Amino acid sequence: MATVEQARTLVGADFYRVCGLRRSIRWYKTWKPVEREKVQRILEVVRVATSSPGNIQPWKAIVVEPARIPRAKRERLLYADNLQGGHVTAPLWIYWFGDTTCIGPEVFKARLREMIAAGAAPTAHGWSEEAMEAMIDRGEEAPAGLPGLNEIAHQMRPEFPAQAAYSETVGAADIATLAAVNEGLGTSLCMIATPSKVGIVIEELGVPPTWIPVWLQLVGYPAEDVEAGGQRPRLPFDEIFFEGDATTPFQRDPSVVRELEQSRLLSPPAPTADRFEELKRLAQMFGYPV
Amino acid sequence: MARWVSRVDAMFHLSEREWAERLDVLARFCAEVSIDPDRMIAQARSDRDVKNELMRRLRRFAADLHGSGSRPAHDAENVVRSFFIHNGARVFVRPYEYA
Repeated sequence: MATVEQARTLVGADFYRVCGLRRSIRWYKTWKPVEREKVQRILEVVRVATSSPGNIQPWKAIVVEPARIPRAKRERLLYADNLQGGHVTAPLWIYWFGDTTCIGPEVFKARLREMIAAGAAPTAHGWSEEAMEAMIDRGEEAPAGLPGLNEIAHQMRPEFPAQAAYSETVGAADIATLAAVNEGLGTSLCMIATPSKVGIVIEELGVPPTWIPVWLQLVGYPAEDVEAGGQRPRLPFDEIFFEGDATTPFQRDPSVVRELEQSRLLSPPAPTADRFEELKRLAQMFGYPV
Repeated sequence: MARWVSRVDAMFHLSEREWAERLDVLARFCAEVSIDPDRMIAQARSDRDVKNELMRRLRRFAADLHGSGSRPAHDAENVVRSFFIHNGARVFVRPYEYA
């Protein structure tokens, strides 16, 4: 019987370490199930921590334990993903979808009413039911201080609901990976299916046609070291972050970098010295070619 | 052959004994299908049906050698799969539990 871990309070150093340890884990202890409590905590984190415009929350997740579904169903879900190695060995699969029915005028209004009532959309900024209805129902121009909801609601391109549902759910899945690492688990995001085989997943999981496939999150106890060979290559800081305009790199303070190295957000880059020896052992353990 | 050895050793630094075992498996399989290694790769890369037939024969070869479904049979297949992979001929791989 799995035991429930004591609730932990995150502090800053833990957060940096969690972020620094986030890797795409591709080798899992297939034989070790993930405790249900940990899965729930991952989902709970996503539910409260993920931001979305207007609080629309379009993400949906289907949790699948491959050891507990019929073999034929498991094989079809694996086949749909081209039997990627991590997918085959991970003991838990979380399928993330974006629900396009969460994108539309009536949903915007419902969520915004909640936000106004909660004091999250402040009247000091001009929020009110009347302003919301004027913009969303009648397409009246948004007053200064409010987002152009009139254009979003009344000039919505046909592809917008799918794009918005997809992009917001990407954020949710990313938060879910950090939540999984925080639980001491390995995780990675991979394609739900080869595009030509998405229909298999839709059918096997009973997915409504209004849900857009986003990511398959693999979860489990890592069979590889948690460092998984080291931190992955990243683009130089000053090539991706700017200040003031798009041509002025954000000045990176070396003392902040040192603090983050001590907090273990930043760690030695891949590959670590023993990485390929580890990969050889993992391949041999699972029966993959070397 | 040289590409296979150099690519595998660049990452995994196999021992002489490991290489001797792998080369023995590959040589035996090539003898079984009556094709030299380089021609086998050339055919596998240019013709998917030929490649798939080679994989089917590989399974039978390994089963005859070590017993159908056994781990040694699976490992023997993996030697030849490794040869294919490192020479750019894409092949199907699965862990032993799911083979």
